Amino acid sequence: MRKLVYLMLLLVSTTYAQTELTAVEATALKAKVKALSKQTETITADFVQYKHLDFLSNDIKSEGKLAFKAPNWVKWEYVKPFAYGVLFKNETLFINDDGNKSDMDMGSNSIFKQLNQLITASIKGDMFDAEEFDVTYFKNDEGNVVHFKPQDEQFATFIKTFEITFNDLGEVIAVKMIEPSEDYTQIIFSNRKTNQKLSDAVFTP
Amino acid sequence: MRYLLPSFLIALLISCSSYPKKQGFIKAESPQQQVKNPYFSDVSKDYVYKAAIEAFDKNFGGIFIVKKLAANQHRVVFTTEMGNKIFDFSFLEDEFKVNYILPQLDKKILINILKTDFRVLLSEEHCIEKGFKTNSNFLYETRIGAKKYYSHITENELQKIVRVKNAKEKVEFLFSEINDNIAEHIQVIHQNFKLKITLKAI
Repeated sequence: MRKLVYLMLLLVSTTYAQTELTAVEATALKAKVKALSKQTETITADFVQYKHLDFLSNDIKSEGKLAFKAPNWVKWEYVKPFAYGVLFKNETLFINDDGNKSDMDMGSNSIFKQLNQLITASIKGDMFDAEEFDVTYFKNDEGNVVHFKPQDEQFATFIKTFEITFNDLGEVIAVKMIEPSEDYTQIIFSNRKTNQKLSDAVFTP
Repeated sequence: MRYLLPSFLIALLISCSSYPKKQGFIKAESPQQQVKNPYFSDVSKDYVYKAAIEAFDKNFGGIFIVKKLAANQHRVVFTTEMGNKIFDFSFLEDEFKVNYILPQLDKKILINILKTDFRVLLSEEHCIEKGFKTNSNFLYETRIGAKKYYSHITENELQKIVRVKNAKEKVEFLFSEINDNIAEHIQVIHQNFKLKITLKAI
């Protein structure tokens, strides 16, 4: 019985920890993120990725670096525990798998196009108006969390919900992709630098 | 006709030459009843590998994850480096279940190949039907599922399992860089079509 009470308290406190924003608050958040996004020419950051699979004892941790240059060049590079980089540039996805290079035309692949859009938008956070998603706004101890649910049935088989956490400045500090099975990938950003000069050479495949 | 019969007999003899004989092994009393494959046998471990797959002139990579959940029960998941699931299989005794597979890869023939290969990687005890020896190396004829395999034991380590047909290697499973019952490097190489899986522990 005591356990049950604790469980209920826990449930109540977790629900309490995340409350939905009012329409006014949501509009203010959108405006803040959009304004910041507009001024953002470049971003560099470090990231830690946790892959959570329910049956594993520990999440699989990997680390890397991110570089972004407006309007939509993105370099996503894992450095630990393996070397693997992807570069999204002009409709093409370039892959560097520990020195083995390949590329893929995203123009013909709607899933990759959406994934690229999702990645670019989630780095800047500005994807509230994307018609492909159902959007809901919450706040918790860390800041604001926005949930994006894909509308497209095919895309929804990959990702059930996409959650972006913003700090008070409107910067993206974490991204969580939840699969239909409830397994998820969580990415936490740190050491974020905005609008530093970033040479095009960084985005050479 | 005079020449045909001897040459036919020679051809028959060559084709009958067994896999162990071709590998230079001679029949020997087996010191054990079973071959043990310890590489995915610890329930307390998460087995995580960086995978490189070469399939029909296409190369792709990902993360290969194996978890032993209980005796004769494993989960095998392959994801992209960014975490998206490509496939998710459950193995339970002789049963097999596809929990998820990317729609583009949902082909019965591919799933059957993967199922057969992974069962070899996961099965922990293979009953020995015949034993062979050369120097201090052992070779055991075993059966996994309905198919015949040979296990190479070198320096007391299971270093290679091969599926053999007509004394020829059809699929090789190579285990190397073995530390504390973990094979840090594993290769699955198909000889009759282009499929090679390389796993490196991370």
